[in-house]
Amino acid sequence: MRIELKNFKKTFGDITVIEDMSLSLESGEMLALLGPSGCGKSTTLFAICGIHRMTGGQLLFGDRDVTLVPSQQRNVGVVFQNYALYPHMNAYENIAFPLMIRKEDRKTIEKKVSEIAALVHIGELMERKPAQLSGGQQQRVALARALVREPDILLLDEPLANLDAKLRLEMRSEIRRIQQQTGITAILVTHDQVEAMSMCDRIAIMNKGDIVQLSSPQDMYQNPNSEFVASFLGNPPIAFLDGVVTDGGVQLASSEALLPLRGQHGLPSSGMPIRLGIRPEHFQPENPLKVTGRISFVETQGREELYDVTLSNGSVLRSIQRQGGGYHLGDEVSWGIAENQILAFDASGARLHMGALA
Amino acid sequence: MNTNFKSWPILLALGLTSVPLVTMYAYMIIDTVTVSPPGSFIPNGISFGSWSFLWEAPAPGRPSIWSVTLNTFIFACVSTLMALSVSLTGGYALSRLHLPFRGFFLGGLIVLHAFPTITLIIAIFLILQMVGLYDTLAGVILVKAALEIPFGVWIMKGFYDTVPWEIEMAGLTDGATRFTVWRKLVLPQVQPGITALGIFAFLSGWSEFILPQVLAPGADAQVLGVYLQSLISDDTSMDFAKFKSVGVFYAIPVILIYILFNKHLMNIYGGGTKG
Amino acid sequence: MRRTDLFGLGFMAPALILTIMFFLAPVVMTGVYSFTNMSTATGISGGAYLISPATIRSLTEQGFQGDAIERLSSESYVVDEAGLEAAEAAGYTPRFIAEIRSTLLGDTFTGRRDFERALKDLSHRPRSIRDLKKATELFQKSVLNVRFETEADFQSALSSLNLNLSPAEAVFLTETAYTGWIWTSANYDRAVNLPSTYRATANSAIYVTFTLAFNVGFGLFLAITTFYLPSGQAAFFRTIWFLPRILPPVLYVLMWKWLTWDTGFLSTLLSHFGVPPHNLMKHTATHAWVVVVLINGFVGASMGMILFSSAIRSIPQSMLHASEVDGANRWQQVRYIILPQLRWPILFTTAYQTLSLLTSFEYILLSTNGGPGSATNVWALYAFKIALNNYGGNLEYGYGAALAMVLVIIGIIASLFYLRLFNFKSMITSPRIEQ
Repeated sequence: MRIELKNFKKTFGDITVIEDMSLSLESGEMLALLGPSGCGKSTTLFAICGIHRMTGGQLLFGDRDVTLVPSQQRNVGVVFQNYALYPHMNAYENIAFPLMIRKEDRKTIEKKVSEIAALVHIGELMERKPAQLSGGQQQRVALARALVREPDILLLDEPLANLDAKLRLEMRSEIRRIQQQTGITAILVTHDQVEAMSMCDRIAIMNKGDIVQLSSPQDMYQNPNSEFVASFLGNPPIAFLDGVVTDGGVQLASSEALLPLRGQHGLPSSGMPIRLGIRPEHFQPENPLKVTGRISFVETQGREELYDVTLSNGSVLRSIQRQGGGYHLGDEVSWGIAENQILAFDASGARLHMGALA
Repeated sequence: MNTNFKSWPILLALGLTSVPLVTMYAYMIIDTVTVSPPGSFIPNGISFGSWSFLWEAPAPGRPSIWSVTLNTFIFACVSTLMALSVSLTGGYALSRLHLPFRGFFLGGLIVLHAFPTITLIIAIFLILQMVGLYDTLAGVILVKAALEIPFGVWIMKGFYDTVPWEIEMAGLTDGATRFTVWRKLVLPQVQPGITALGIFAFLSGWSEFILPQVLAPGADAQVLGVYLQSLISDDTSMDFAKFKSVGVFYAIPVILIYILFNKHLMNIYGGGTKG
Repeated sequence: MRRTDLFGLGFMAPALILTIMFFLAPVVMTGVYSFTNMSTATGISGGAYLISPATIRSLTEQGFQGDAIERLSSESYVVDEAGLEAAEAAGYTPRFIAEIRSTLLGDTFTGRRDFERALKDLSHRPRSIRDLKKATELFQKSVLNVRFETEADFQSALSSLNLNLSPAEAVFLTETAYTGWIWTSANYDRAVNLPSTYRATANSAIYVTFTLAFNVGFGLFLAITTFYLPSGQAAFFRTIWFLPRILPPVLYVLMWKWLTWDTGFLSTLLSHFGVPPHNLMKHTATHAWVVVVLINGFVGASMGMILFSSAIRSIPQSMLHASEVDGANRWQQVRYIILPQLRWPILFTTAYQTLSLLTSFEYILLSTNGGPGSATNVWALYAFKIALNNYGGNLEYGYGAALAMVLVIIGIIASLFYLRLFNFKSMITSPRIEQ
């Protein structure tokens, strides 16, 4: 079902958390609300499921205006971070609870519960109480409970945050599989960019109560529209170099070094400050635009190695390379930046679009 | 627990200070089933004579032990149920619900929680007389329940506070009303609190002396505490064996509850209301 | 008001109603009663108007005019038709009645004896002297010892006596004759002026100081010692010391009576060493205080024991182990590791028990009942006995309420102080579900 949030506003007392936000989801789409804590993503989720009243704006499920409809009648399924399973009920009773509240007959309940249990692979756990289930199993029960009444929308609030690393990987693909199999419209709230990128069709990055960019994961990684988005996505994170635009290119701050970005258009006029974002995969020994520095940190990640290179002006660039380069801590190196992959931002953090002249 | 230190000096100190209490406990039991020669505390015979109050007809003007026991039971149970149900709703309201003047109620609750209720007994006595509930079991039950409420609401609020909000949120999105959420989802989570408060209120009601003595002194509404005290203060022969038999009889439920629930008890008395 | 607010209020309502009835109303009413002279004698509802011998005495003491007092206290007998009708109804013979009517109608006698003598002279008088005496009563016109339910009745009765009172004197007489309670601030004056008040204050101070010291000190002793014992032994001692708290007070004090009375354990034991038996609970003030403090202390120490024990248990084990590795002996461990962690529980216990000891009197009432004399009569017990438990007869509710009011005010102030102690602001977080 198509979901549309128009001009949403939310205040708590005197504090405005969300000023004016609009968002729409296509039917069957899974969208991530990604942002640091306190950015308003959970507030948005609570407003959509009806636990928080909307201070202003409108919420549409399909053609139905549910802005003022209480939670009970909205038909949303929610999976909470701590799963919120009812501890005194076993898995079956947990999943059957929404149907019981609707007073569906016992036969129908049994049928629906067993169908959904099969879908999330917990058929054999139905007699167990939540305390007897592992984290991943609890997660599956919570999913089943949210899905059993065929909700218009599935809301997932940090569903993987309480799982250990291995289970997180497994549940990531499981949730995506179940979402695609049921074709349900879903919103995933998370602060983890990897989750957002691997699970969702589109990502809405939020900051301070506002959506700063809404795009597909790939596009957002390659074309962040602000310094905030660029630094939020990517692991290991992007590194920045501060400088000032000159005739010859970009003069790095407190340094003699000049990056000769001659072949670029779109550079602001001379004398303007500029910030260059360079992702670790674009700072490699073989690239042409060389900068010199000293290796100040080496982290072995198994297949790859991560180097921090401190330049003479104190700024740090990161490089991720295959094993076996033979570099050591303290080595003086001169590696190159992939010129056409540089992401440039102005003083306010907005993206400057540059391109090759040719 | 600590192997680095010797424990016998501690055992000795504790043992010595415990002698008076242990002696009193021991003779509490011994005296009710034995006879000792005058001037001695070493029994020289078995006797259950002091238990005759259980089967003999009561002395004139005195109610029967069984009607007094029934009164005590009704008093303790009904005041417990009242205090419990009121605390369950009140605690939930303060913990979770929207209320006008919520801060004011919370502050009032803490003030009342610490407030020494016994100072109000004179006014309560006069109020009961004015509304016609003086010298009735119903009146004193109502007062007892009411006086437990600040403590009860406080304890229950504490238990409700530990129930994750998400459980209630899940219940609402699952389609349940706020009331159903409370009944079916939240109440089962505060079960330990209900047990603890229930035990506490029952013991407190069972042991109550001053309230029934002042507010319902008549024979019809007499409870065990008042019965035993009037037995002691009216008797000139100081028949300790008889007093103690009534006392042991009076203490049976307390001991049973202690044996069954002593973990709960330590916790709730740690919260502290009495002395 | 929103629907959600109503729902919350509905949940709160039972607690609110009971609290208003039995906390708020009593607090207010204690204040109200403290400004009355309510007692058993005045009753708690309205009163009546009555000239009793006590009223006469009080009028005389206040220097009321002697003539009026004479008339109020004297009995007068008037032979009138109303009296004759009453005699008829009482079954006296018609001849006797006719004779009274013919010879005495309209006469007034100022004393019973005169009237009796006049009746004796009649020829158809009843045989028995008792019937004759009864007949005189039917003609009595005195206001002495007659209850008038309303002021109007009282005034009309007075007017028939022709007292010739000034308006001020009339008002004074009416007030003196009123038996119901009246508004007054005399209770507080009385409390300030009576030496027994100061005695009770001093007693309360002694009681709170010593009991509190015992409770905290002994509570600490129990918590620390049981901490160092294996769990089985610790549980045994904790049970011993916890029982006094849950045993019914009447029963618990009974055990102490058995221990301390002259027929009890200690006296019997000591008699073997030639010490004469005494009721140690009431023998001297010192004996009584020791017993009172121990009775309360044995109960109160368990609260400290429980609170302090859980605080000690929350000290990280590693900290204790580290101190042992560092070579601390047990005393040093207690002094430098355990005690500093108990600062807050000790403060809490002290604050909490100060108030509760100040206002509690149950164990004293059951044990020494304030004796010997009023050696252990603490303020709370003093108020209780004056208002509710005074076998001497007159229960002085008003005065008792004034004494209790002092405790109520202390209670309110102390509770407000706890409000700060509890860090109240941090508790008010608004509900997270908004519907």
